[in-house]
Amino acid sequence: MSINRILIYGLLGFVALFYLMPLVVMLITSLKDLDEIRSGTLLSLPQSLNFDAWGKAWGTACTGVSCEGLKNYFWNSVVIVVPAVVISTVIGALNGYVLTKWKFKGSNLFFGMLLIGTMIPFQVVLLPMARMLGLLGLAGTTSGLIMVHIIYGLAFTTLFFRNYYISIPSELVNAARIDGAGFWLIFRRIILPLSIPIVVVSVIWQFTQIWNDFLFGVVYSSGDTQPITVALNNLVNTSTGVKEYNVDMAAAIIAALPTLFVYVVAGKYFVKGLTAGAVKG
Amino acid sequence: MHALKIQNIEKTYGKVKVLKGINLEIEPGQFLILVGPSGCGKSTLLNMIAGLEPVSNGNIFIGDRDVTHLDPKDRDIAMVFQSYALYPNMTVCQNIEFGLTIRKTEISEQKAIVAKVSKLLQIEPLLDRKPKQLSGGQRQRVAMGRALARDPSIFLFDEPLSNLDAKLRVEMRSEIKELHKRVKTTIVYVTHDQIEAMTLGDVIAVMKDGEIQQFGPPQEIYDNPCSQFVAGFMGSPSMNFIPCQIDNVNGSMQITLESGGVQQQLPIKQVIHGLQEYAGKTVILGIRPEQITQQGEEKADSAMLNCSVEIIEPTGPDTMITVRINDVKTVCRIHPTAESRVDKLMPLLLDMSKVIFFDAQTQLRIY
Repeated sequence: MSINRILIYGLLGFVALFYLMPLVVMLITSLKDLDEIRSGTLLSLPQSLNFDAWGKAWGTACTGVSCEGLKNYFWNSVVIVVPAVVISTVIGALNGYVLTKWKFKGSNLFFGMLLIGTMIPFQVVLLPMARMLGLLGLAGTTSGLIMVHIIYGLAFTTLFFRNYYISIPSELVNAARIDGAGFWLIFRRIILPLSIPIVVVSVIWQFTQIWNDFLFGVVYSSGDTQPITVALNNLVNTSTGVKEYNVDMAAAIIAALPTLFVYVVAGKYFVKGLTAGAVKG
Repeated sequence: MHALKIQNIEKTYGKVKVLKGINLEIEPGQFLILVGPSGCGKSTLLNMIAGLEPVSNGNIFIGDRDVTHLDPKDRDIAMVFQSYALYPNMTVCQNIEFGLTIRKTEISEQKAIVAKVSKLLQIEPLLDRKPKQLSGGQRQRVAMGRALARDPSIFLFDEPLSNLDAKLRVEMRSEIKELHKRVKTTIVYVTHDQIEAMTLGDVIAVMKDGEIQQFGPPQEIYDNPCSQFVAGFMGSPSMNFIPCQIDNVNGSMQITLESGGVQQQLPIKQVIHGLQEYAGKTVILGIRPEQITQQGEEKADSAMLNCSVEIIEPTGPDTMITVRINDVKTVCRIHPTAESRVDKLMPLLLDMSKVIFFDAQTQLRIY
């Protein structure tokens, strides 16, 4: 191994360590009990594997007045994320399909306007969206929050699919039209089977965005329907005398696990999707 | 009875007129070639016949049916695309069956059609493969198979050979010709390659700037081009265009050619009435390379000219030499055994019975 290699790997190792340090601290802190935390340093290892803090974060920790841990909120998030991701991905795919293969007058303008949608900061839409949800009778409901996430995600998913589909030759669609296939059949039989890499990209992106969202969750949901990010905030901010760092850390890791899981499972396809390049006939 | 009739077809994109009133008609079983340089509108015209692009003006008939505003699927056509456009996620067999499935053909009949078509094109061993596992030539065959399976009344080919390498292109060209001989379906074939046009076509439409310049059988277009554009486009190496002075000397027309420092008067024995009024002016002499040959092949109407040889390019069966006549580079096709040397004078024979003339301004043929 040359000196250059050693330098490169050394540097990479250092950067990785630096980057992973907070996670390591969180993990070891979550496995300590309060005495250990008080007596040891931030980096000292726990004496034994102790999952009490995890159990408490999941089942009995107090988030405000109720003391039922994160478990209900975890499922709240699942119920919000799954439909929001699925629906925004499906509509994004359809939008991309129309914007590239069935162009209409003004479709480029339409796409340009959608692009602006990706640049609007969350805060700008808070009040108008709240008013709209009120008018629709969806204020404070899970369906309302799902709708907000779908609408907000559409600009991104459309952008993904449009940019992917533009590299699929239009001759494929023309061939299928001459073979007698219509709009939906072409989408289902020709376009969708070619879309797996970009579907994965869209799902990862949307899942991460929606699962990690705090602002929309705290504004548009209340009480029992709040997502896990809001509950985590409440859990950390609720203290009865002693600050339970181990429980806070465990709760934060629990809240982050699903996105980690999605990356690990779909990451292979994610890289494939980004490197697949043009689909050649 | 016509298989395809195109009436006054126009296409405009915004203010740009891409097709300016195309009219043509072909009989059943004919092989029509649309040929022209890129941007001449030939692919647009094909897409309009296919129904993939809306028609701005005019009518299209396939058989007796007016299909101008019909969907592609209702036109009874099949198309082979330049990129082949095979469905990447389906096997060869599924690719061929796709159109049949959509049309709800019986499964047993589908199998029979696939078997027949794959035998015809010799793609039986490939039926279970995906398109990406095929070579260019095999993809080409599958694309034709998909079109054949449908048994349409017209086949449309959009530059099907331009993605193949030179050798395969020649092979596939003769396969397409053979296929046409066997299935006898009407074909409309778009290409920018004049050799494909000459070898494949029963009739050729030479297009330029959204207009048909000339429409006729290949040999007719080659021998009697109606304009300098058509003359220059068809044939390789292309026709030589030599500006020259034409004079009326005692009732017979003569042109003046200069080569190797010597001026020479050559009489025109062909009867071209239109030439009379150009007496004393400059016209463009059109002469094909094979009409300028070495000595020893004299014909009744041959004229001899001593030319200084500039470039010699042997191709095997013939040797192309470039000489300078009236200060214009002129390519001649001579026999490889004929003696020629660079910078030496060589006596060449011009076959004056086949030469044609063009107006120097309008570039149209003088009849």
